[in-house]
Amino acid sequence: MNAIECHRLSRRFGTLVAVSDLDLEIPAGTIFGFLGPNGAGKTTTVRMLAALIRPSSGSARVAGYDVQTQATAVHSVIGILTEMPGLYDTLSALENLTFFGRLYGLSATQAVDRVSHYLRLFELWERRNDPVGSFSKGMRQKLAIARALLHDPAIVFLDEPTAGLDPAAAHAVRQVIKTLRADGRTIFLTTHNLAEADELCDLIGVFRNRLISLDTPANLRARLFGQSVRVVLASWAAPLVPLVQQLPFVTDVVAEERVLSVRLTDPERNNPVLVRTLVAAGADLCYLEPFTPSLEAVYLELLQEAEQPAELPLHKS
Amino acid sequence: MVRWERITVLIGKEWLELRRSRGLLLITLLPPFLLSIFTVVLIFAMGIIPDPDIASIPVATIDPALAGLDLGALTQVIFGRQFALLFLLLPTIIPNVIASYSIVGEKNRRTLEPLLATPISVGELLLGKMLAAIIPGTVLTWVCALLFTGGLVFVAIDSVVPTLVIRPGWILLLLLSSPLLALISVSLTVMVSSRANDPRSAQQIARVLIIPVMVLFFGQMLGLSVFQPLLALLLSAGLLLGAVVLVWLAARVFQRETILTHWR
Repeated sequence: MNAIECHRLSRRFGTLVAVSDLDLEIPAGTIFGFLGPNGAGKTTTVRMLAALIRPSSGSARVAGYDVQTQATAVHSVIGILTEMPGLYDTLSALENLTFFGRLYGLSATQAVDRVSHYLRLFELWERRNDPVGSFSKGMRQKLAIARALLHDPAIVFLDEPTAGLDPAAAHAVRQVIKTLRADGRTIFLTTHNLAEADELCDLIGVFRNRLISLDTPANLRARLFGQSVRVVLASWAAPLVPLVQQLPFVTDVVAEERVLSVRLTDPERNNPVLVRTLVAAGADLCYLEPFTPSLEAVYLELLQEAEQPAELPLHKS
Repeated sequence: MVRWERITVLIGKEWLELRRSRGLLLITLLPPFLLSIFTVVLIFAMGIIPDPDIASIPVATIDPALAGLDLGALTQVIFGRQFALLFLLLPTIIPNVIASYSIVGEKNRRTLEPLLATPISVGELLLGKMLAAIIPGTVLTWVCALLFTGGLVFVAIDSVVPTLVIRPGWILLLLLSSPLLALISVSLTVMVSSRANDPRSAQQIARVLIIPVMVLFFGQMLGLSVFQPLLALLLSAGLLLGAVVLVWLAARVFQRETILTHWR
């Protein structure tokens, strides 16, 4: 079952097209990474999916509810961490969470239980009675995340959840996100932290006013960079490039000092042939390892591709 | 369907924030009580040192109920009636101050988006915000009017003075008009808050409501009997009509989409 579905979802502000024909299906229990540059329309998309603003055209369903006609039902099944924490400075952490818990329909007893659970989980229990105005940026962020989770939502929208957090707190937040997935919840994660997206996400959508690409991180890598290996040699690698290029299964080869980066069609079958060829040519092999490009490289490649005119080849040879 | 539980939770939060903000609490509570105290003190002083020219002003010669009063009592009645009208200013000022801090404050702290993402409807949110400002404004007006009445009875130099000041028309006007003036004041504040980034800017709009009260104030000085029950009812009916229109306009401004995309 899909937690989130959109069909040709679009939003215009006057002549500006913020979101264009977004088609998206996110299965329940998935962590979906929504990546894109600033001003790409990510916040507008989240606001439409969270039934906060209406689409100009197209449709979307969240947890089965239509975002245009069942906004209240959508609000009760989602949790949202907005770009700014948005907390009441004169109220304590306890009062902030209790207020939102009650608005989400928790009874007074339930609210007390949930609030104390999340304050302890995010190590804010000792400061529960302090006004939030006295909290650090990281503490405010943790409190805002706790607010998003308070009512046990099936779908959680998180906008830069670890921004401003120290490494230990950021790690704790990532663990919470993993736990949420293990519990079957769907996470819609908007982030510029690509390492974090790589670690957490099952599905990645690269977006700039329209969806540029949607796939698993592994498939995105394979699609853009193929299956690559790095061959580390004892001597200079450049002279071996023509030899390797002649092999029929090699789609690309780059030499850098003592390293040959070779893109192959099927590493399991091609690697033995590649090694034999190099050894036969007198190369001194130190070792061979699979090469995994970073998600950042994939992301930048996708954005670059999206900028190129359609008639130009999209992939490097 | 309006869910009152959520509205009461919101009102509770609003009042908790008000209690925590000592400066706001001070500017909300202090002026009404000072108005009650100073008007009573002035009426007391005027009874002891009456103004000899008071008998020549239009109202003193037109109103037959004032005939035969000695100068001290006449001064107390005339000034008592003028001061009594000033209590109609309180429901325009107090809710306006509370609502402006509440709405512009939410806007500045960026708390509106998480609030709008909860299952509370925009109508409930607007109603909660309005009631959180109207209830204290109206109750405080009535409490101060009661203090004024009690003080007047206490300082009157003639037992007839309170009966000539505290008349059914005034009571009716306070009971009916106070919540309506508060509602109008808050509706105007909501509309202005969409454009204002500072609570004080949002408060300027309530100054408009001083004008009708001042019209009554000067009308009474010129001999118009503004405390007649019929006039009180007519005024309240007019205010009700104005309130309906303004609430409708405020509701149009206070839409989820408008707040998130147009409020700056």
